[in-house]
Amino acid sequence: MTEFENFIGLNPWTALFTLCNLVIVFLMLKKFLFKPVNKMIDDRQKEIDGLFADANAAKQDAEAMRADYTRRLSEAKETSAQIVAEATQEANRRSDEIIRQARQDADALRQKAGTDIALEKKKALNEVKSDISKIALDIAGKVVERELDGADQERLVEGFLREMGDQV
Amino acid sequence: MSEISITGPGVYFEIPIFGGIPITQTVVSSFLVMVLLCTAGVLLGRNLKKRPGRMQVVTEKGVGMITSLVCDAMGEHNRHWTPYITALFLSSLMGSLIGMTGIFRSTTADLSTTATWAIMTSLICWYQSIKNIGLGPWLKGFTEPIKVMTPMNIVSEFAQPVSLAFRHFGNVAGGGVITTMVYWALSGASAALLRLASLSWISVTITLALAAVLFLVPHKGNKPGAFRKILGVMTAVLAFFGLLQLLGVLENVPFLQVGIPAVLSLYFDCFSGLIQAFVFSLLSMIYISNACPAPEEKSDPNS
Repeated sequence: MTEFENFIGLNPWTALFTLCNLVIVFLMLKKFLFKPVNKMIDDRQKEIDGLFADANAAKQDAEAMRADYTRRLSEAKETSAQIVAEATQEANRRSDEIIRQARQDADALRQKAGTDIALEKKKALNEVKSDISKIALDIAGKVVERELDGADQERLVEGFLREMGDQV
Repeated sequence: MSEISITGPGVYFEIPIFGGIPITQTVVSSFLVMVLLCTAGVLLGRNLKKRPGRMQVVTEKGVGMITSLVCDAMGEHNRHWTPYITALFLSSLMGSLIGMTGIFRSTTADLSTTATWAIMTSLICWYQSIKNIGLGPWLKGFTEPIKVMTPMNIVSEFAQPVSLAFRHFGNVAGGGVITTMVYWALSGASAALLRLASLSWISVTITLALAAVLFLVPHKGNKPGAFRKILGVMTAVLAFFGLLQLLGVLENVPFLQVGIPAVLSLYFDCFSGLIQAFVFSLLSMIYISNACPAPEEKSDPNS
């Protein structure tokens, strides 16, 4: 084999060894470098994605809660305003009613008092009339000094009273 | 002055079975590269954590970069080829760089290596094509676009691995040849200079004086620049070895071989090695991705 042939020639054994070495390097790199590294990168990516998803979910939850609270708060405000308004209305109504009732009662009392007064006055008048008539009879009896029979007496009294009543 | 000799990979020894298996320099380097890459791969792929350390960040960055490169060149559906392409790229790169040690010969400076890789890539292409579109349509593909093109298509199919193999081999081996020739030339040049410097005591003195002038005498009021310093050092070294040669202590010291080949090595070993590894794996990616079209394109010939 000349030098040139040696320099540029193909050696089948060398080729076979080279092939074996390439295949070994390929398999080793694939199994021990690329597979674990890629797996690690993918795992980390997945974890980060998971974390982001969780964070987003938590944020959404918080947003929903906030909206819920805001809604409830405004609802409570509305309710309280309504309650106050109702209470005010009720109180107004009640006070009006009380006043009206009081006025009614007062009117009734006044009316009753008026009637009572009139009645008492009449009663007193009658008593006075009968007292006067008795006194007048006594006086008249004394004055006349005669006995009158019952009918005459009555007639006399009536006539006297009519005169008196007209004067009174 | 020694004869220039450019040799192929030397044979360390032969395993005396199957009529003698030669263990060449390439085989040893290739084995070493394999062990290095496997060790590095296993070490880097170990103890991975969710919260990565420095080394893991670099590893993941590298894996991500090469994966995205493969995805860009071959398409997302060919992502699973990344380990093969990486093995090819790293084997080629390390195979070229291992020549820089000076102990081992570059594996890629042997046509056996590059041809094996190229044929491997071609076999993968053919297998994938046949698997994807079937043997009949694949063979029929050679007669397209017109039947006259059939021999051309077949030749181009074989030219593919040949060009791959010879491009890589030629670049690395050519770099080695040029480096050898430069070393040889520098050895000759330093021998000639030394012969001149060591003619007599006078020539040694003149050389020494020249070195002193280059170093000490200011040029246009400036201190000597980098170039003059280097020249001065070389002249001083020439005077020193000239003196030694005159005294008969050392003879023909190739002092010019220090420094100058480093620049060449930077180009031929580092740059060329990297570029050729990249080109080789990129072309492999393109060939394989042609054989493995995306799933939606695959149904086109049938419809």
